[in-house]
Formats: sequence, C-alpha cells, structure tokens
Amino acid sequence: MRVSMPTIFHNIQSNLQKLAEDLQAVNIGIASGRKYQSISDSPLDVGEIMGLETEASQMTQFQRNLDTGRNWLASTEVTIQKINDIVQETMALANQMATGTYNAAQRAAAAQQVQGYIEEIMQLGNTRVQDQYILSGYKTDTPPFVMGDWQIREPVMYLQPGSTGQVIAGGSYTGTASRTYLVEISSGGATGVATFRVSDDGGRTWSEAAVTGIGVALGTEGVLADFSGNWRAGDRFYISASQPILYQGDKHIREISIGPQSRLAVTQVGSEAVGGAGGPFDVFQVLARLKGSLEANDPQGAGAALEELRTCHSHLTGILASLGAALNRVNIKSDVLETLKGELTDKLSIRGDTDPVEAVNALKTKETAYQAALLASAKVMNLSLLDYL
Amino acid sequence: MSGINHILDMAARALLSEQAGLEVTGHNVANVNTPGYSRQRVNLETASPLPSPWGPLGDGVKVQGIQRAFDPFITARLDEKTAAFMEYQARKAFLDQVAALFNETNEAALTDRLSAFWASWHDLANNPAGSAERQTLQQNALSLCETLNFQADRLALERSSLEQQVGPLLHEINAHAARIAQLNGEIQAAEAGGQLANDLRDQRQMELSRLADLTGIRYYTSGDGLINVNLVNGTSLVQGVRSWTLDFSEGADDSLAIFWNGPNGLRENITASLSGGKLAALLAVRDSLIPSYQQNLDQIARELIAAVNSLHTQGVGLDLFASATGTYAVIDPDLPLGSSGLTFGDRIVDGSLEILVERNGFLLASSTIAVTPDLTLNEVVNVINNDPNLGGLVTASLDGNRLKISTNQASDTLGFVRDSSGILLALGLNTFFAGDKAYTLAVNPWVLENPGLIAAGRFDATGARAPGDNRNALALAALENAPAGPDGLTFAQAYRRLVTDIGLETERAGQEALFYQKLVDQLTQMRDAVSGVSLDEELANLIRFQRAYQAAARLISVADELYQTLLALKR
Repeated sequence: MRVSMPTIFHNIQSNLQKLAEDLQAVNIGIASGRKYQSISDSPLDVGEIMGLETEASQMTQFQRNLDTGRNWLASTEVTIQKINDIVQETMALANQMATGTYNAAQRAAAAQQVQGYIEEIMQLGNTRVQDQYILSGYKTDTPPFVMGDWQIREPVMYLQPGSTGQVIAGGSYTGTASRTYLVEISSGGATGVATFRVSDDGGRTWSEAAVTGIGVALGTEGVLADFSGNWRAGDRFYISASQPILYQGDKHIREISIGPQSRLAVTQVGSEAVGGAGGPFDVFQVLARLKGSLEANDPQGAGAALEELRTCHSHLTGILASLGAALNRVNIKSDVLETLKGELTDKLSIRGDTDPVEAVNALKTKETAYQAALLASAKVMNLSLLDYL
Repeated sequence: MSGINHILDMAARALLSEQAGLEVTGHNVANVNTPGYSRQRVNLETASPLPSPWGPLGDGVKVQGIQRAFDPFITARLDEKTAAFMEYQARKAFLDQVAALFNETNEAALTDRLSAFWASWHDLANNPAGSAERQTLQQNALSLCETLNFQADRLALERSSLEQQVGPLLHEINAHAARIAQLNGEIQAAEAGGQLANDLRDQRQMELSRLADLTGIRYYTSGDGLINVNLVNGTSLVQGVRSWTLDFSEGADDSLAIFWNGPNGLRENITASLSGGKLAALLAVRDSLIPSYQQNLDQIARELIAAVNSLHTQGVGLDLFASATGTYAVIDPDLPLGSSGLTFGDRIVDGSLEILVERNGFLLASSTIAVTPDLTLNEVVNVINNDPNLGGLVTASLDGNRLKISTNQASDTLGFVRDSSGILLALGLNTFFAGDKAYTLAVNPWVLENPGLIAAGRFDATGARAPGDNRNALALAALENAPAGPDGLTFAQAYRRLVTDIGLETERAGQEALFYQKLVDQLTQMRDAVSGVSLDEELANLIRFQRAYQAAARLISVADELYQTLLALKR
C-alpha cells in the first residue's frame, strides 16, 4: 500500500490521542478514587452501585431506628425494673405487717411508707425519653399517671358468724390526707337498733357509740355509711378515703420500623403494665388497698394485699422478660445489619472504587506505551528523503 | 524529417514536459496538507514518430494531460460511513450532556436525595412530635423536589438548545448544496475543452464530504461530469447546476419537522426519512430520546406524588387546619370531578370522606360526606356548606377553581379523616406534595409553612389523635420498598432503570461512533493511499524530472555543438 503523508500523520495523531485519553481516564480514576465518572462508563455497574447505595442507606436508617428502639426499650425496662423492685419491697413490708406482731402505730407508719411507694411508682411511671412519656401510648405529651380526686373506697368487711350486716360507703371526702375509718359494732341488732363506734387511727382511740342507720356520717370529713341488715356485736368494717392514681394515656403501642417488612413494638401501655385503670394487675389499687388495711390495723387485709402484690410482681416480671427479649432482638438485628452493611460496603467498593494496585499498574503501562509511541512517532516523523539529498 | 532541428525540437519538448512534471510535483508538495487534495501526476507519452527513410523515427515526449489520483468508489463509501460516524458521534456528544444530568456516580445525586427523603420519614416515625425531625423532612423533601425540578428543567433546556442548532445546521446544508451546484457549473465550463478540472473536482468532493458530515446523502455522476446529490430517501438536493433547500418548523406536539423546498414551490415533510449525519442525531435526541426520558421522569414524579399524597391524606399532623386550600384546580367547577382536568381525578372512586371540627383542641363535630367521581366541585361546596353537622362551623368555597374549606371561628380547626374516595388526593387537600410532574413537583406550601401539618399520625375511630402517633409516618417510610406504578418497581428502582437506560443509550452511541470511526479511518487510509501526497515520492519525482530536464538541456547543448561544428566547416 502507498503510504502518504496524511496517513502517517493521521495515524500518529490519532494513536497519541487515544493513548492520552486512556492515560487521562486512568489518572482521573486514581485521583477521584471512583472507577466510573459517568453513567455511560458502565451503565449496568452504575445501576448496580445505585441499588447497593440505596440498600446501604436503608441499612444505616434501620440502624438509627434500632438505636431509637433500644433507647425506648431500655428506658422502659429500667422503669419497669425499678417499679418491680418497689413492688418487691412492698411485698416484704406487707409480709411483715400481715403477722400479728405489729401494733396499730407501726402499721400506721407502714401505711405512710406505702403512700411513699405509690408516689414513687407514679413518678417512675411518668419517665420521659426525649421529652416523651414512655408509658402513655401515643399521648406522649401527657403524663400517663396522675392523682385523681379524693375517692371513698368500698368497705372491707369482717363479720361475726351469723351476721347479715351490709354497708355501702357514700358521701364525698373533704379531707386533705388519706384516712381509713375503722367501724366496730358495739351492740348487735337490726339496723337502727345496733350501735357502732368509729376509729380513724386504727383502733387506738374510738368515738362515742352511735346508732346505725342510712347516711350515717363517719368522722367529720364527709364519709357516709348506709347500714343495712342485722348486726352482731364485734362486726367490723373499714372504709378508706384516698386519691386514686389514674391512667391518662391511650392503649396504643408505639412501633418502629426495623426492616423493610418488619416492625418492633418499643413501648408498653402504662395501664396494662403498671395500672391506673383497674384490673388484677393495677399496682396502684393493690397498694391503695394495702395502705387502707394498714391504716385500719388489719393484718388479714395486708395478707390479702400481699397475695395481690405477688400477682403484680409476676406480671411485671413477665413484662421485663418480654422487654429483655425485645432488646435482645434489637441487638441481634443490629449485629445482622452491621454485617450486611459491611458486605454492602465491600461490594460497593469492588464495584465502584478504583483498585489502586490495578490502577497504578495501568497508569504505568499506559505511560510506557505513551512514551514508546512518542519515541516511535518522533523517529517516523523525522524520516525524509530530504535529509539524504 | 530528421536533423539537428529535430533534435532541438525534441529537446525543447522534453524540457517543457519535464518542467510540467516539476510543476505538478511542486503543486503536490505545496498541497501536501490541503484537506481533500488529490495528488496529481503528469501523463507523459511518446510523441507520434516521424516517417524517415529507415522507418518511423521517435519524436520524443509530449504531455498527454494532468490526472488526479482519485478512486470515486472508495470516496463514496468513505462519505457514507462518515455520515454514520458523524451521526453517532453527535448523538454521543448530545447524550453525554443528558447523562451528566443523571450522573449518579457523583454524590448527592437523586438516589441519595430519595434515600434521605425516606430516611426522614423513618426519623419522624422515631420521634413523631419532634420539630427538628419535621424540619429535616421538609428540607430533604425540598431538595428532592429541587433535584427533580432541575433535571426536568435541564432536559427541557437541552431540547431547546438542540433546536437552536437545527437552523444553522440546515443553513449549512443548504450552503453546501448550493456550492456543489455552483461547482458543477464551473466544472462543466472548465472541462468544455476536454481537460479535467482537477482542483475544482477536489473542491466539489470536499463539499460533498462536508455535506455527508451533516446528513446522509447519495450522489452519482452524470455523463457530463456533473454530480447529482440526493438525500438518503431519494429526495433531490442537487440536480446539475440547481440545488434545493431544507428548512424546519416546530410542530404542534413540540417536535420539529424538516421540510424540503423543491421546484415549483413543492414542499414536503421529510423528517421521518432522514438518516445519517449530525442532523439525524440531533432530531433523534431532541424528539425521541429526551422526550422519552422526560416522560419517564414525569412518571416517577407523578407516582411519587400520588403514593405519598394518598397516604398523607389519611393521616393527621400535630395541628389541624384553620383553613385549607387544595393545590389542584379544576377547569370548570360544574364538570364532574372525574373529568375536570384534575391530574389525579381518575383516582376518585365511590367512597366517603369525614370532616371533623375541633374547638380549642377538643372534638366538636364531625360529618361523613359521600363522594363519587360524578360530583362537581360546586356540588362538593354545597354538600359541605349544607351539612347538618358542619353547617355554621365550616365554610367551603372556590378559590381559583380550587376547593377551600375554612372554619368560621378562630377557636376552631378542621381535619380530614378516613378518605376512602381519593378526593383529597385529587383536590390536593391535606397532601404533602404539590404539582403533577417532575418540573412542577413541590412541597405543599401549607406543609412548608407549618411543619405541624405533616401527618405522622392518624385519627382513631373516635376522632382522637395524639402527638406520639407514628402510624402514618411508618406507612410513608415503608413506601421506599413498596412497588409503585405499573411496572411494580420501587421509586429507586424505577429511577435506576431510567438512569441505566440513558447510560446504555449513551454507551451504545459511543460504541457505534467508535466502530464507524474505525471504518472511516480505514477508508481514509485507503483513500490517502490513492490520493494522498507522499513527500518522499514527490522528492524522488523531483530528482527524476530534474535529471531528465538536465539531460534534455544537455541535448540542446549537444545540438548546439553539432551546429557549431557544421558552421565551422564553412570557415
């Protein structure tokens, strides 16, 4: 083939240009640390990198969610644990007080202690995480437990055999401290005939005897009793006035997202876990009953409360176990995510990052090729018949 | 008749011939770098011999003509491949600019923005009452909108910048066609004497090659040395010494139409049959590829708006509305909602919507309104205003053909509950996004003004709501992995597919360009092998002609000596 000047110079130029382009590409790859600079460099790889990046950012987000969940679960666990500890202390106290070796004054002091426990549990129940109450369900801006208005509780009856006496508590309490009225029938007979006496200090001092009837005032602070039936001397009952603890939250359980398809409950409903809405596991009501029995100097009532406290204790222990399991799940999930993220990072790095060894090698190769091309071109360009004429 | 004079004659002709050779060599050397130049050579032939007593006697040399080294077949193939090469090269260049808009190899591209947007919903679910979380969500939603707006805007700009190139391109095509017609005329005139007009032919070939860069052409030589040029579809561009022109206009569907202006005012739309060259690439990218990307991007944006909004309308934020105005307007409030030009009007189904009024934060009244796609906006207004439960508490009205609902008392707020009809989505009430395509995608101004309106929670069956409720935020966060749109892809996957499509199209254009470049290079080498000037060759020729010239000159001096010898005899 005839080799003409345009052929020689076009070849030199295009080859050098091609090598310079390659050199530039390798150089940018090293400088930026990224294998691809544009989506057209390798559309499929870039698409895969996009997918991996989306996945990686989701993993990061799920990790964040798990951290939030761990925070909530751990706070709930600590709170319930502390409440359970108090319940346990109260059980020890009730156990002591259920024996006959304590007197009315000691029981009155114990009643004060129980009131302290009630308030402490209420405060614990009102724990907040990031300014949100953890036991209120979705009503995170509302404290779950508040003191309600004064309430006169149902009477606790201890009747002599053969007695048909009944009493209904009524009225509205006007006092400012909790109080239990212990009533004892001093002489038996039908309602209207039988007489009774009242003590508001657990039977240490008694009032004058009065006739039973409907709407009889016990003490001076608005507590009324409707007597009915036939009474026997020695029948006893007591009526307590106290401030109940009420639940203000709702029954929703807060969930967080810990995976594309999975959610984790991170809160407990205060009324179900601790109380404030009645039922066998309402710690506040059990404690109020215990307190009433202690104020009435009633070891039998304290014994009954002890049984109820045991039920509460095992309920709380059950909740603690489930919280522990949930925390465990969080930790396992977190470990799994960590591993997955590591793998994703590896994959991303393999797909998208410049391999320095390979790149430097390529740079060296291209550099050598470029130099060789320059040398050869310089030689070819300098060849001319003109030099020999 | 032989004789000394004959020797002199012969030597003189040889001198002239070798001189012509030197001149042509000089012409070649001078044009070694001239684009499109075809090397020329002198055709020498022996002159007709003279009769002589001892047979025909050689009469030396004569110049038969000057010929250019040119292979029309290689050149025609080269022009054809050049048209294809230029098409793909231009396509690659245009697509590179589009690909740069979707450069997901960079950080902070749309994929990241989308991830950040969903992550914000997760964060909000983790702390639904948090104002920092709400503001972060606003910011991330805004930057997602801005990225999509930017891409849509730049795609439109790219189209209009391509459109601006069409005029000059067609002008150039017309100019080349006119020049070819003119050269046809000049060549015809110059070659009337029977000699080839080599340099004019080179010029014409050059014009043809340049024309082939711009659009695909076919050309053929007619017997009289004229070249006729057709477009690939057969439409004549140059016919002898006449040329026809192309121009364009913008069609109703925003695409460009290329017209051929033929003889006698004949005008024909030839857009569909154009192929090859920069023009074809420009039209393909402007009117086929970019619109399909735009459509794709708009589709993603529309699905995003629909999915996020239809969940958002089911939820409730920390605050209710004192007044709410829809973001979508109907074209006529007396037309049924389903066919009144609402972007999401087709999503309205038979169902109901509950409107609820709170006074000082406590539930005051609520009413359920039945909705069908046949309701007109005016009817909706009437239904709300005449509702027995809501009457006097709220007022519905039209605000620029959009629905506006306000409470009548400052202490009252209103909320929307359990919309099973999709009317909230269609009218843009209690929505998160506004807009209907990538370019118009925006965060609902109500939400932007009051982040408390971001609906992280939901109303309970009793109409109660609580700040710690994260049900709606969880549902919205889960959209990230939910299939959206007809293909069952998630948003990230749908976008990824678009990006991969663009990447593949660009890559393909680049590969095709590379392939044709190789062909063009090869054909160029073949053409240069025939037509290119080799300096070494010319130098050799230089010596060759110089030596022959010297020899011819010596012949003259020998003849001169012969004369002198002859004349000396007389003395």
